[in-house]
Amino acid sequence: MITRINQLPTLRVDPANKVVFDYKGKDYVGVKGDTVATALYHNGVRIFGRSLKYHRPRGLYSLDGECSNTCMEIDGIPNVRTENTLVKQGMKVKEQNVKGSAENDMMGFIDKLDWMMPAGFYYKTMHKPASIWPIAMKQIRKAAGLGVLSPDFEMPGKFDQIFPSADVVVIGGGPAGMNAALAAADKGLRVIIMESRPWLGGFFDYRTFDYKDAQYKNSKPLYSRARELASKVESHANIRVFKHTSVVGTYTNNLVTGFQIGGDNDKFNERYIEIRAKSVVVAAGCIERPLLFENNERPGVMQVACAHRLARTYGILAGEKAVFSVGHDLGLEAAVDLFDLGMKIICVADVREDGQNPYLMIELAKRNIPYLKGWVASEAHGSKRVNKVTMTTLDGTISRDFECDLVVASAGLTPINGHLTLAHAKLRYDSHTNFFVADTMPEKTHAAGRMLGLEDSLSIEVSGKLAGLNAALDCKLMPQSYGNTEVDALKSEIESFTAQSKELPGPARGSKFVTAPVKGRKTFICFDEDTTIKNIKQTIDMGFDVPELIKRFTSAGTGPGQGGIPGHNLPLYVAKYTAASSKCFSSSSSSSIQSLGATPKPTNVRPPLVPTLIATYSGSKHIMMKRTPMDEMQRADGGVFRKIGVWERARYFSDDFSCKKEIENVRNNVGMLDGSTLGKFRIHGPDALKVLQRVYVSDMSKVKTGRVKYSAMCNDDGCVIDDGVVVKLAENDYYFTTSTARAGATIEWLRYHTRFDGWDFYVVNLTDSMGVINLSGPNARKVLQKITSEDVSNSAFPFSGYKEFIIKDTIPVKAMRLGFVGELSYELHVPSSYMVSLWNMVKDAGKEFNIQNFGVEAQNVLRMEKCHIILGQESEQRTNLLDLGLGFLWDRTKKDAKTIGAVALRQAENDPTRFRLVGFEMENNGRAARDGALIVDDKVRGYVCTARDSFTLNKAVGMALVESHLAKVGTRIQIFEDECKGELIYGTVVPMPFYDPDGKRMKS
Amino acid sequence: MVEIKRYSPVAFKASPKRTEVRDNWTVVLEYDGEGQAAFGQSSVNDNYLVDLSHITRFDVQSSNLDSITPFGIKIPQGLCESYLQDGVLINRMNRIQASVFCLPNKKNEMLTECKCDADCKCDPQNSSSYTETTEVGMCMAIIGKNVFSITEKLTSLDFMDSAKTTPFLYQAPMSHIPCQIITLSRDSAKSGIIFTASRGYGKDMVHAIMDAGEEFGLKPAGEDKFKSWLNNL
Repeated sequence: MITRINQLPTLRVDPANKVVFDYKGKDYVGVKGDTVATALYHNGVRIFGRSLKYHRPRGLYSLDGECSNTCMEIDGIPNVRTENTLVKQGMKVKEQNVKGSAENDMMGFIDKLDWMMPAGFYYKTMHKPASIWPIAMKQIRKAAGLGVLSPDFEMPGKFDQIFPSADVVVIGGGPAGMNAALAAADKGLRVIIMESRPWLGGFFDYRTFDYKDAQYKNSKPLYSRARELASKVESHANIRVFKHTSVVGTYTNNLVTGFQIGGDNDKFNERYIEIRAKSVVVAAGCIERPLLFENNERPGVMQVACAHRLARTYGILAGEKAVFSVGHDLGLEAAVDLFDLGMKIICVADVREDGQNPYLMIELAKRNIPYLKGWVASEAHGSKRVNKVTMTTLDGTISRDFECDLVVASAGLTPINGHLTLAHAKLRYDSHTNFFVADTMPEKTHAAGRMLGLEDSLSIEVSGKLAGLNAALDCKLMPQSYGNTEVDALKSEIESFTAQSKELPGPARGSKFVTAPVKGRKTFICFDEDTTIKNIKQTIDMGFDVPELIKRFTSAGTGPGQGGIPGHNLPLYVAKYTAASSKCFSSSSSSSIQSLGATPKPTNVRPPLVPTLIATYSGSKHIMMKRTPMDEMQRADGGVFRKIGVWERARYFSDDFSCKKEIENVRNNVGMLDGSTLGKFRIHGPDALKVLQRVYVSDMSKVKTGRVKYSAMCNDDGCVIDDGVVVKLAENDYYFTTSTARAGATIEWLRYHTRFDGWDFYVVNLTDSMGVINLSGPNARKVLQKITSEDVSNSAFPFSGYKEFIIKDTIPVKAMRLGFVGELSYELHVPSSYMVSLWNMVKDAGKEFNIQNFGVEAQNVLRMEKCHIILGQESEQRTNLLDLGLGFLWDRTKKDAKTIGAVALRQAENDPTRFRLVGFEMENNGRAARDGALIVDDKVRGYVCTARDSFTLNKAVGMALVESHLAKVGTRIQIFEDECKGELIYGTVVPMPFYDPDGKRMKS
Repeated sequence: MVEIKRYSPVAFKASPKRTEVRDNWTVVLEYDGEGQAAFGQSSVNDNYLVDLSHITRFDVQSSNLDSITPFGIKIPQGLCESYLQDGVLINRMNRIQASVFCLPNKKNEMLTECKCDADCKCDPQNSSSYTETTEVGMCMAIIGKNVFSITEKLTSLDFMDSAKTTPFLYQAPMSHIPCQIITLSRDSAKSGIIFTASRGYGKDMVHAIMDAGEEFGLKPAGEDKFKSWLNNL
């Protein structure tokens, strides 16, 4: 275990507060504030896991989760980014992707077989002979992927979601972001600031440095300035701070999504955040561009900020003897600071020929740290961790070896501009900064800080202020916002800050160095996918010349790091190599990209920008389903419920899913079904009838008071989209039902199809307002008569009749005499709040007949025996009214109505190619075919809509949609079922309906 | 003998302490443990969920909506504006449609001054422009200091939009379910919304809201708590 430096003012850990966790079955001790990775590092762990393809040892590299090096299994969850996960008491941590251990991985030998796996090898090998591929595929699938998750794993913890509102969202809690937030909030706007680390401060937070040139009065160190700003931000009434919150997506119209990791006092483990703002400021800063050299991912090689933050934020010195190979001033600053903290710095190599901060050069000299200008690391040595590094001049002519246990390496900086590109900013390569910068910004989006190439502290802060003010202007220019005076004042303030910013240093010249002079066999451009420079060269030599395609072919940048490591280097290297190849230069020469005339093209980024758990997206997991008023009672009666559309409905009332008893009870006695899910509507107003004429195929002027009329609605293609009954309540006042599935779309359907007519009508959705009891069976009348004084005899209340009556002087009922199940049936529509009471009354009245519930499946079989259709079951998108044999509903004479679908139906009337709905029974007393089974000969000729073993008819029957030449009664049909292995089953077309063809039972 | 009762689509996991039967509804006036103090009188900043599904509601539709005055009150002209007077809450939904809520403190004598003829435009029971929609939906109120901390876990709606003045209507999803949500107050501890949604979603909606409100101590309350809150507005 390394001794922790406990007294640093920059620390973000509490060394006095110990945290005990389990790593591979042993107790380890970290401190509060440690990440899992820093706690393990503190305990001497250097190899965190093995790489995806070659099983190379991998260790701490970025400290920000930019690659999969430190992904581990934590509390059973694989692929947790340990650099971003705070260690907690009792946590169980395991290494992953190893056979044996990370230290001694039995699969490590694969690293020596890299010659067998050139770029895209799986596209080209193992395909001939073809029989090899299924075997090879299984092995590749076994080897691919990181971590293992059991299919029945249940995610522990609480996951939540939040949709806060804001005027301005600031992405990034560094100095620029905090200044932007303060500037906008001071204008009275509601600001949200999102910061991925558990604290605000960004790249100021860990730096004790100041440039001694009075940038801040009193020569304030940067961390102190960061905390001062953070204090202002966190105490500002208009600013809401989301720390430990990563932004995963930015979309048009300023939609920002992210996720927050819960702290000790939070009620969630993680929560999804979605914000629709009026303006967005992106101040996400920069990450380091990895230096490309042989074994550049060997444990012991790490980025500058990783080594620096490890010391300053966590109090851990990453090594004893370090060699620096860098391309920016932050590297020099880190070397000076780490030297002062006790690290031995063997030398600092800088790929830049000029442009170094002279003050830093003096500080290096003061400490006698050897400075190698124009040198670079070319190879790290050591089988499992670094013990030596070879340094060379940029042209590779001179080399020297240095013994060390730490190589701090970084080629330059790269802006985190994924947020801008997701929001549709167009990026272009900027040769001065060597960055990809936004050429055109998305509307109401502003960038600030280091991502613009700024390095000077004051320049960064002023750019943040400017972005905040511009965001404020976006909000204030909105139609409903504020007066012109305020806008004018804001504009002049922006002008003043713009002028001020011009006095300050602008974007700094960026290092353009890409790769050390190496062949690249073990120079990794993407750690996650084990993609080397050699692989990229192979791909380009095969003819790929676009970085996006090279990314696909080599997988570089498609791993958990989401392109963080290779995102910038890949296009730079491709541009340089392709240009160099065409000019016969060596790609590893020190020639700059610009001098070769190459223009790097960025690769795409996609959300999520930062990986997180699917459980976080799932949130609190409330399943929102509709329940009928009878839900509880039917469950108590043994109902087996299923999700049907937006509803939960009782499908069965026993374990016998053939529903034999339920069916026989309705056929022979009396049953009750909860039909409350039916769509129910009132339409009224002077033009209500015109609307009905338009949407229904029948002549709705013939709807008579006291009668129900069954009809159907079609779309413009004549295809049936809905059916139901219509009742006339009064003049221009109707009550109608729709199928359950269509209820939600009915009002829009009516409005859409009358949108140019200017008709005066009003529709009210009463679907949930009315419960429906379907009372069916030969004894239904006797039961109904017991609860009402109304005459419900066949003469007073015949088939297709409609009555309104009040039960027990209290419960108003709309009663319809229908016959969907083929028996004497009543549909009782009752206010939902009274439904339970009426249901109990019916049940009470039916006791002497032993009345029983029946569910949706029994109803399905009963109506199928009667050949009554259910839309969606006996129809699909292309099925028209005539196909279903419902042509009798269509009134061809009501031309004024412009009935929807009438034109198409006329055209389809004599079309012999259309399907027909037919009834069939299975041959030789065979079982029913499965719903959806195909009707075939040498081609597919149709499909089975519904088929069941009918207990009423003692045979298996069903309905099918078939080509018209198969529709004739007596035709033998062949039925193909899934996985039937060529064994067809057979049926014969028979007349419909199968049961009570004259309708005597339902009309009696 | 079956007792005739009306059932709310909403049920809380709490025991009613005081109830009252009203038009066959069993209205809970107070739940066990909710605290007897009137709203705002307690030292604790509690948040409450109140079932108001029993209150009478109407849908009003007319091409000449300005001529209709439910209970003698004018319908607001602006889209999604609401108006609360004497316990009657009227919400302008669109060009031809408004919703009317008779809150528990509605003054019943309002219609006594009505001098209209048949098809009275201010009497919902008498005019064809009205459809009673009490049964269509559940109706609940969330009141207390943390109302908008709870709602932001359920919906992306901006209840604090400075361009809106209370009361105002949103017709938008909450917990993925289409709702009518009326913000009655966003005044610190007296914040409150009332909302309706399809009756069938009652059970799951209560579950979602109680879960969202758990960290803020949200608890069920009876109608009296709502009335005292309303009277304090």
